[in-house]
Amino acid sequence: MQAILKIDLSTRQSESYIIPEQWVIDYIGGSALGARILFDHLTKELDPYSSNSPLLFLCGPLTGTLGPAVGRFVVCGKSPATGLWAESNCGGFWGPELRFSGFDGLLITGISEFPLFISIINGKVEFHHAEDLWGLDTYEIQLKIKERIDQPKAKVLGIGPAGENKVVFAGIFCDHGRTAGRTGLGAVMGSKRLKAIAVQGSGKLPLAQPEVYNNIRSESNRFLRKDLVTQVAHDLGTASVADYSNYLGIMPKKYYSQGIFEGSENISGSLISEKILVGTKACHGCVIACGRVVDIGDGKRRKGPEYETLVSFGPNLLNSDVNSIVKFNELCDMYGLDTISTGNVIGLAYKMFADGSINQSDTGGFELEWGNLSTLENLIHLIAYRVGIGDIMADGAKKFAKTFGEEEAAVQVNGLEVPYHDPRGASGMALVYATSPRGACHNKSDYFMVDWGQTDESIGINYFSRQDGAEKAANVSRHQNYRSIFDALVLCLFSNIPIVMIANLVNTATGYEYTPEELILSGERAWNLKRCINIRLGLDKSNDKLPKAFLEPLPDGGSAGYMIPFEEMMDAYYSAREWDKETGIPTENKLKNLGLKDLVKEFI
Amino acid sequence: MNPVFPSSEWLNSLCQKLNEDNKYAAIASKWEGDICVVIEPSGIIQDTIIYYLDLWHGKCRRAAILKSVDEEKAAFILSASYDNIARIMQGKLDPMQAMLTRKLIVKGNMAVMMRNVPTVLDFVRCVRDITNEIL
Repeated sequence: MQAILKIDLSTRQSESYIIPEQWVIDYIGGSALGARILFDHLTKELDPYSSNSPLLFLCGPLTGTLGPAVGRFVVCGKSPATGLWAESNCGGFWGPELRFSGFDGLLITGISEFPLFISIINGKVEFHHAEDLWGLDTYEIQLKIKERIDQPKAKVLGIGPAGENKVVFAGIFCDHGRTAGRTGLGAVMGSKRLKAIAVQGSGKLPLAQPEVYNNIRSESNRFLRKDLVTQVAHDLGTASVADYSNYLGIMPKKYYSQGIFEGSENISGSLISEKILVGTKACHGCVIACGRVVDIGDGKRRKGPEYETLVSFGPNLLNSDVNSIVKFNELCDMYGLDTISTGNVIGLAYKMFADGSINQSDTGGFELEWGNLSTLENLIHLIAYRVGIGDIMADGAKKFAKTFGEEEAAVQVNGLEVPYHDPRGASGMALVYATSPRGACHNKSDYFMVDWGQTDESIGINYFSRQDGAEKAANVSRHQNYRSIFDALVLCLFSNIPIVMIANLVNTATGYEYTPEELILSGERAWNLKRCINIRLGLDKSNDKLPKAFLEPLPDGGSAGYMIPFEEMMDAYYSAREWDKETGIPTENKLKNLGLKDLVKEFI
Repeated sequence: MNPVFPSSEWLNSLCQKLNEDNKYAAIASKWEGDICVVIEPSGIIQDTIIYYLDLWHGKCRRAAILKSVDEEKAAFILSASYDNIARIMQGKLDPMQAMLTRKLIVKGNMAVMMRNVPTVLDFVRCVRDITNEIL
């Protein structure tokens, strides 16, 4: 593994840091290793916006190679939205370029006295004034910074006005629309007055067996190309799932309150591909190319929305105009807002307005009518700049609802807004949302795909009906462990290749000799370590819950009437995880078996 | 008594079922496209079997057994081993699971396919309804 670069923004000093090898062996990389690196830094008292608050950018051992969808990196820290463990990974080209410049990660602390950006060109670190860039959007800064440092091929990651204004769901953006969107790490970056980081390098990546690795990665890519999910994601983008999700009642409508919306069929991945698609975009070395390029009739090539954004600004708000969604997506990307949370908090405001919990005096005169597009656009502006009602919305759904005495109305878990996979249609997502280490999240386990049938008996991920209950709890926990490997590598969830192939890639890249079982154990170790971090940060069993909306049946649609047997599912989940049913803390035996007993003594 | 699968009688029986089933007619009312189902040798089946079905707006306009998929330029080609086809027909393998785990390979326009997954699933229901006996 290459060095991590430690950067103190207060002193503008940097130094290389070699990660202890045992940590690398135990956690591999990505957010798993990130959890180990930050374990000692993250305390309950730590203010995410303080000088001591860490912001860790980390790659995996395959990042930057031409392996199967491996070009990702992750950002870790303490979330201002949840007060818990934060991680958010991102595709594009920035992660590979960081590795080409000689580092596998950046650990940033401190607060700069003035807005700045950092450049790291072939290992050389420089700090640059960025007063003139403060206030610019995430697209503008990429162009201006490349020009400023005279490095047209540099890859630039940065924040927009939302991050500067500490919107708790501000993300970190690169490559015109690739996003580390969740958990508000853009706000942490803003609090440090760090506008951007430009990287470029021409170094060679360390591979233990480069020739063997190249053969395996070619074989993996050939395998991946033939996968149905690859073909569908290539042809239709991630929004390919919209039609089926809608049919099953998994796609939320009207802020998770109804199962049918007449215009839903107008905003699918199929429709985008047939009506407005003009190209595709891929992350570094990826054979899938799920990114969309669209033209909505004005001749401008824009990023097309992926599934979450499509639903967030579509059926969630009773909007069936796909062109408007493209524009809202672009606006959020430029401001540096996470589209999942933005659409969620706007949906909440619409619902509360309709219910009479807030009125026009609260909204600054806006009438929040479902499907009103100009109001929707205005709210995005107000959130990004924390103006009027937007200032309260910028603190997230949980606090917004609490401000008006309606905390239970917010569809969030532990402060993170729920994505657009309703667990009443895919019950495994109930456990996933309730137990994800970063709050409600669909990427720590995309179990809705397992509920559809994406099983793998070779690693014990079996088929259950999409509305089964407690019997699938152990299956969910195994899938979480499995996906933890992806977070460690930082591998795209679409890299649907056998685990033996993954192990071969890791082993020939790192020189270690993991069996598939050891990889899954590593994933389980990381899952439990993040659980322990969160317990230290104040999480307990009472946090493992679902929003009230999901404990009521949908009135119509493909999942009408179904009640999630949540308590039974959680009991079975604690058993499967070997977590204490009374406290939700991993048992001593479990921690011992994972090699965590000495590290997390405080919980035993 | 329904005919045994696989057989030409079974295929004709499926075509008849698709033309008489009101639920299928409603769900598949927008479907436009013929399909080839390629049953690859496995288990007791030694040779590839290719069934062709011309499906249009909830009806089956023609069914035939082909020697090669090249005989018809079908909009969709679905391929699976005989054993996996049998498991799907017996309800032991979910059709979506089969597609997502490479047990059933689909070729064709993915936009049309994803928009019409309910049609595919109801097609499978009709297949199951007319199948009592599998070789």
